[in-house]
Amino acid sequence: MRVKLKSGRDQRKFIERVEELSGENVFACYQCGRCSAGCPVAPEMDLLPNQIIRLVQMGLEEEVLRSKTLFLCASCFTCESRCPKGIDMARVMEAVRHILDPKGKDAFGPGEISPELAKELPQQVMVSIFRKFAK
Amino acid sequence: MKLHYYPGCTLKTKTTALDISTREAMKRLDIELVEPEGWTCCGAEYPLTEEKIVGLAAPIRTLRQVRDEGGDVVVTTCSFCYSVLKRANKAIRDDPLKHKRINAYLRNDIQIDPLTKERRTGFADYDGEVKVLHLLEYLRDRVGYPKIRERITRDFRGLPVAAYYGCRLLRPKEEMDFDEPDSPRIFEDFLETAGCAAVDYPFKQECCGSYLSVSLPDAATEASYRVLRSAKMNGAKAITVTCPLCFYNLDHRQEAIKAAYLDFPGLPVLFFTQILAWALGVDKELLGLGEHTVPADALFSEQPAPEVRT
Repeated sequence: MRVKLKSGRDQRKFIERVEELSGENVFACYQCGRCSAGCPVAPEMDLLPNQIIRLVQMGLEEEVLRSKTLFLCASCFTCESRCPKGIDMARVMEAVRHILDPKGKDAFGPGEISPELAKELPQQVMVSIFRKFAK
Repeated sequence: MKLHYYPGCTLKTKTTALDISTREAMKRLDIELVEPEGWTCCGAEYPLTEEKIVGLAAPIRTLRQVRDEGGDVVVTTCSFCYSVLKRANKAIRDDPLKHKRINAYLRNDIQIDPLTKERRTGFADYDGEVKVLHLLEYLRDRVGYPKIRERITRDFRGLPVAAYYGCRLLRPKEEMDFDEPDSPRIFEDFLETAGCAAVDYPFKQECCGSYLSVSLPDAATEASYRVLRSAKMNGAKAITVTCPLCFYNLDHRQEAIKAAYLDFPGLPVLFFTQILAWALGVDKELLGLGEHTVPADALFSEQPAPEVRT
């Protein structure tokens, strides 16, 4: 079955912003699902990576922005290495997080790490997670 | 000879085992590691959106310092540092807009010498002149495996060891250009050079859970367990890593793993440089084995290397 994607001005604005920030052509995706099949965190996600990109194609900004998936991506690039269309899904995720940034509080901020845990954690992981999930 | 070496934040505090064993091993290969003056954290994450380019400033400043000290190569061991430095370097070389914006920003740097109080400004633009190499690449391409074999004084007697690549060394393939993302060999070849037997197993390039270790520990425990179980099932007596975060997830998380999977017997986690250092004759006390949660001492038992190696 062929589906024609129709979108209004608001939807187009969202799609163009995701493409501009990520540098990826989201319409290249033909929903093969390899990104979700290889994703190590997929069992924890409410929307799978291929579903996120499909919602972006349809310009459904609200559905994408309220998904838990954005803050579950570990940026391990397994999806990137397997995508037959050469899309870097980690960049799409980061672009969507970027759009979300000014709209809310930190998804994961420094206050959520106890002093005891901070003593044990390698610095690298703290720098990393705040870069990804804090504003 | 001298070689520029970027240790990164974690090697100086929580994971000194990787730093110490790297230095000791390289001494045995007649290489003195020099840190670029005033280096800072690389930022750990390469910025993935086109507008967050300020994250390139720190790695580029470090690379520019290497160039200004006369270095044409910098080696790193941490996978995150390697990924950030290498990708930032490539962005400066390939993307004229990023080159222009980052250099416009860094041109205004002022460096003050802590001893002489001398001010240094007017830095020349950085064009990507320095080559960023992972120590595994440096050992293979610049030192050469035959030279390492010549220097080996202790024998692992074919200890079955699993090489764990994790995420950042291999991917994204085009930018990292490190090895084949789905069938890498460089780590295995290194282990065999050091006298171990490399164990083949399907989870060598799967993710350990990375930074989700902080926000979603159970997911990281699960991901780490899958990697460890796969290595163990294929006969590994130890698993080797290059990254302090892989080490944290695979080693420290084993307590949580054992609580969740009662039949999991445990697997020691080593840095690749500990293997190299010990094979080259470095004392066990200089391997930083005290930082391990899963005891790894027993793997390093004295046994001289046979005189003729094939």
